[in-house]
Amino acid sequence: MSFGSPYVTLPDFAYHRPKSLDEALALLKEHGEEAKVMGGGVGLIAFMKERLMSPAHVIDVKEVPELRQVRHVPGKGLSIGAAVSIKELLEGGTLRGYAVLEEALARVADPMIRSRATLAGNLCEAIPWVDSPPALIALGASVEIAGTGGTREVPVSGFIRGPVDIDLNPGEIVTGIMLPDPKGTLSAFEKFTAGSEFSLASVAVALAGGGRKRSVAMVYGAVSSTPVRCAEAEQAVADGLTPANVRRAADMASEKVECVDDVLASAAYRRHLVKVITTRVLRRMMSA
Amino acid sequence: MREITVRVNGQERKRLVKDNELLLDFLRERLEVRSVKAACWRGECGLCTVKLGDHLVKSCLVLAVEADGKEVETVEGITPDGELTPIQKAFVSHGAAQCGFCTPAWVLATHELLQANPHPSEAELTEATSGLVCRCGTYNQIREAVEEVSQARPRLAKENLASS
Repeated sequence: MSFGSPYVTLPDFAYHRPKSLDEALALLKEHGEEAKVMGGGVGLIAFMKERLMSPAHVIDVKEVPELRQVRHVPGKGLSIGAAVSIKELLEGGTLRGYAVLEEALARVADPMIRSRATLAGNLCEAIPWVDSPPALIALGASVEIAGTGGTREVPVSGFIRGPVDIDLNPGEIVTGIMLPDPKGTLSAFEKFTAGSEFSLASVAVALAGGGRKRSVAMVYGAVSSTPVRCAEAEQAVADGLTPANVRRAADMASEKVECVDDVLASAAYRRHLVKVITTRVLRRMMSA
Repeated sequence: MREITVRVNGQERKRLVKDNELLLDFLRERLEVRSVKAACWRGECGLCTVKLGDHLVKSCLVLAVEADGKEVETVEGITPDGELTPIQKAFVSHGAAQCGFCTPAWVLATHELLQANPHPSEAELTEATSGLVCRCGTYNQIREAVEEVSQARPRLAKENLASS
C-alpha cells in the first residue's frame, strides 16, 4: 500500500510514548540529536512533511503526567506544563491576570489546532511570526528545562536565540513555562494579519506597578527575526497612558523598531503597522 | 509496524500501522472511511477533520499511533441509521453543499458546535469553523442552515430571560 504523494508522507521514525519524565529523559539520553520531542505535534508533523526535520525517533510527551500540570508555585508564579494544550489553557480562567497571553493564544490558528497545540511547542518553534513569544517576554516569563544532569530555568528573551534557534541542548526537554505572579499587571496583545494566520506585526504590552515604580514592557513580534523590545516607546508611556503619550509611543515604535522586508510584507508597511497596532493596543488599555 | 486498536464510529478496529503513518491515511486507506478528505495536508483547510476523544482535530496533523486506544468519530458516526441529522437536513434545504467535497467536515463541525452550544451567535459560528475552508464559498448557506437548526430548538428558560 502506498499513501499520498511523496510530499505528504513523513520520514521514517520510531515512535515512543513515555509515561514519565524519567522515561522521556532516558529516551532523549539514548537517542540524543536523533530524537525530537512531540507535544501536540502540529509543528513537528508539518516540519517533517516539508523535510525540514527528519528525526529517527519521535518522543510523544502528551501523556507524561509531570508535563500535564498547571500549578501555582508560591512566591514565584504559575507553572504551565509543556504538554498542556492551548485550548486547556484558555478554559476555566487559568490565565486570569495574564491578559496579554490569553489574547495572543485565543487567536492562534483555529480551535482544532488549539486543541492539540501547546504553549511550549508554540514557543519552541521560534518562528518569527508566532504570537506567544512576545506575550511571554512582556510578562517576564521563563522556560523550565530538564536534562539528565538536572534542571535549569532561562528567561524566554534569552531562550529564543534566532529564527528557529532555541537554547535547548540535545538530551534536554522543556518541561514548562513559568509566568511570574501578575501582581496587578495590566497587559494586552494586538496583531495584524492579512487574512492568513501569519501575523505581519504584533505587539505585547505589560504595565506593572504604579507611580515612579511603574515598569513598562512593549515587545514586537513578526516584524524581525526575533521578538524585539522598544525602550523608546516604553519610555514614552512610563508616566501614564494619556492620549499624547500614546501618540508619542506609536511614533517612537514606528521609528525605532527594526522591521524586515520579506515575502509577507515590506519593511515600510511593517513600520506603518507597528504604529497602527501600538495605537490600538494602548488606546484599548487606556479605556480598560 | 505495530498493531493499534481504535474505536471508529463505535466499532473497534485493529490494524497494523507504520509509526510514521498519519491518522488521515489510516482512516482513508486502511479503513476506507472516505468522508475524511485529503486536500491541503498541512492543517489549513480542515477537510480531514475528525473527532478524536472529546476534540475535533485535523487528522493530517495527528499520527495514527496517537489514536491507539482512543475513539474516533467521523460524519458517518453522527448520522442515525437511514436518517439525516437536523443539521444535515438543513444543509440540504439551504443548498449549503455545492461541489460537496468539504461537506462532511462542515457537517461534523457544525453538528459538534450545536451539541455544545445549541444557539450559537454568528461570531461563535465563525470562530468554531475558522479552521475550515469551502472553496465554492457556501459560507452564507452554511450559516443559514445552522441558524435554522438553532431557531427550531427550544430555548432554555434562562436564555429567554436573558434575551427579553
